[in-house]
Amino acid sequence: MSRSKGLPKYNTREEVDFVIIGSGAAGGVLAKELSTNGFSVVVLEQGPYRTAADFKHDELDVIFNDQLLNHPGWNDPQTFRRFETETAVQMQGDPPPAYYARGVGGSSVHFTANYWRFHQSDFKERSLLGPMEGTGFADWPISYEELEPYYSRVEWECGVSGQPGPFEAPRSRPYPVPPMPVKSSGVLFEKGARAMGLNPQPAPLAILSKPLNGRPACVNCGFCMGFGCEVNAKSSTLASMIPLAEATGRCEIRPLSTVFRVETNDAGRVTEVVYLDSSGQQQAQKAKAVIISANGAETPRLLFLSESSRSPNGLANSSGIVGKYLMGNGHSVTQAAFEHQLNEYKGVQVTRIVHDFYENDPVRGFYGGGGMDARPFLDSTPILHALTGLPPGKPTWGPEYKQMLRHYFTRKMSVLGSTTSVPLARNNITLDPNLKDDKGRPAIRMTYMDHADDLAMATFLQDRAVEILGAAGATEIWRDPVEGGTVQAHLLGTCRMGDDPATSVVDKYHRAHDVPNLFICDGSSFVSSGRGQPTMTIQALAFRAAEHITDFARNGEI
Amino acid sequence: MTISKNSRRDFLKSSGSVMGASWLGITMPLILSASQTAIKNKQAGASFKNISIEESVELSALVDQIIPPDETPGASEIGVVYFIDVAFGGFMSDNAPAFRLGLDELRQKVQSAYPDINRFSELTLEQQTEILKSAEDTPLFGMLHFLTLCGMFCLPSYAGNRENAGWNLIGFDHRHAWQPPFGYYDAAVHSQITAEGDKHEQV
Repeated sequence: MSRSKGLPKYNTREEVDFVIIGSGAAGGVLAKELSTNGFSVVVLEQGPYRTAADFKHDELDVIFNDQLLNHPGWNDPQTFRRFETETAVQMQGDPPPAYYARGVGGSSVHFTANYWRFHQSDFKERSLLGPMEGTGFADWPISYEELEPYYSRVEWECGVSGQPGPFEAPRSRPYPVPPMPVKSSGVLFEKGARAMGLNPQPAPLAILSKPLNGRPACVNCGFCMGFGCEVNAKSSTLASMIPLAEATGRCEIRPLSTVFRVETNDAGRVTEVVYLDSSGQQQAQKAKAVIISANGAETPRLLFLSESSRSPNGLANSSGIVGKYLMGNGHSVTQAAFEHQLNEYKGVQVTRIVHDFYENDPVRGFYGGGGMDARPFLDSTPILHALTGLPPGKPTWGPEYKQMLRHYFTRKMSVLGSTTSVPLARNNITLDPNLKDDKGRPAIRMTYMDHADDLAMATFLQDRAVEILGAAGATEIWRDPVEGGTVQAHLLGTCRMGDDPATSVVDKYHRAHDVPNLFICDGSSFVSSGRGQPTMTIQALAFRAAEHITDFARNGEI
Repeated sequence: MTISKNSRRDFLKSSGSVMGASWLGITMPLILSASQTAIKNKQAGASFKNISIEESVELSALVDQIIPPDETPGASEIGVVYFIDVAFGGFMSDNAPAFRLGLDELRQKVQSAYPDINRFSELTLEQQTEILKSAEDTPLFGMLHFLTLCGMFCLPSYAGNRENAGWNLIGFDHRHAWQPPFGYYDAAVHSQITAEGDKHEQV
């Protein structure tokens, strides 16, 4: 990918129309939309500007040395605890609790690219099901119908392959390109699910099965989950949106720029964004308006860091709920081996899904819903397979272990169940009171323990997975334990949207209730968690927000 | 498991325990391995940068316990010791002191169990396995296990996975593009799709 010539260089001391903090799933869309609509835009991204040529099939570096995750300039640790009564600790040797990629394109660069639209019910479950005591269970201030046009825009403009399924909500346009070619895991999952009377369907993925918008089709190399795409077939914002933003000549991407404060004036308006540039020098970019799209962990952290005498609990936090209601989606993993070779290391992760258990069902005895998919999961790359992919209770070294490696790598698959997360105030992002990063910024502290209903739903899906895999003819099936998550890649709900400033951080247009020229749009805006694949909805929200923000700016309403 | 009669391991096994400590203060297996190391260095055009020859001999024995040679090469022949050398010069450098401490503790374990023997690599294969079983919960073993698997299956540019031997072992064919069918179970589906596509083209 070649970067356009004549990219703008804005003066930090002159106001640009918008500073966007973060260039990921939401920030990339907003940058493209607002620059296309004629506004001057500066995007501040803490990670480097990698392109497809920089991505490698290097499992060691990407998966184990966190190449795409680490702060490129300095150590930026995080802490974790399950409950607020515990002292959070840094988990040595584990992945960071808030698991996100740093770099232009953000986590859309390394994601697995499952792109499920929400269902109509996701936006109004509180009305449909009634209250849940002691939780933040609430309706969204918008409906599926309001968001639908933007789902279609994501599918066509970012690029999603798929085929409408039996349970999905009405759509205005078909998918632009057909589903990815089915893998052995998909064939087996489909066979087993049909035998159980279920309705499997091709998986919608933000990966191109045919060329679209000047980008090529996937070559089935198999290095999707956790990796950057080497051919730009994965529809990251790096591949789909950022080039269009830069082509306008009005969007300046500033990589290696770590924001640590958003300044406000006496009138309570945002004035400039303070950051450390690639050389560690402090800079401040003036802007008429600021959009934070830094993800559900970094966004609340930045709001806390931007506290002032006017907003002592953090910017845009008069409600006191910034950082609260973190939702990560529950998951269960069921592994299986088959007689013949599946060779799941080839191709995309997921080619078939089951949405029969998507909706809440009172018969189950707990709240929740979920989706299931078939994939290699951790068996797509050799080192992860060797560490995690073999049956439990067997030798982990020596001659038998070697023989097992030889046998299982090509004969394995998993079924993942992904579930709702009940929004709970006790699950949250705060600033760690003790630990700081190398530049003195308080570390992200995650407090998280799944609701009992979330774990029950994950177990329910695991029970179904065992049945499906059995019906598909698996020779061995084993369950990964269902337990509370300690690493969250879906960072949702920490600045939720709503009509009431007392119970939400942003309004239905993503404008902060407290600050007229501050917008927040990313996973933090979610009111409910959906069923485990949030990025599609993050991007639909971003397209929608961009349209409204454009109108506000043109009408002098910012 | 069948061990080829000509494998280096068999030779070490038969010679090492007989020789015991030698006149130069190093053992026969050590000399043997050192000379093999020299040959491999020559082949690889590189020498160890971050570990000593003695450590490399111990490591060879240890990593071959984790992935032993059988009809296919074991971890040391696949280059895992070279990988560990590279790792201690880079992403594992912080762990090197703990690793050396672990090696010392292992040596003490060996010496207390077998007073006549100095080093892990001098034990018979069976003795090595016994000792390592008793050390499975140590940080050293955890590190070794992790590094062995990384060295088996990393990109060969990290000095492990020599000539893709680790990948070949498990059936991972590293290419940058694939076309379906990918595996046994999707082959029929894709041949049907192809047949239908051909039919459409004929129409």
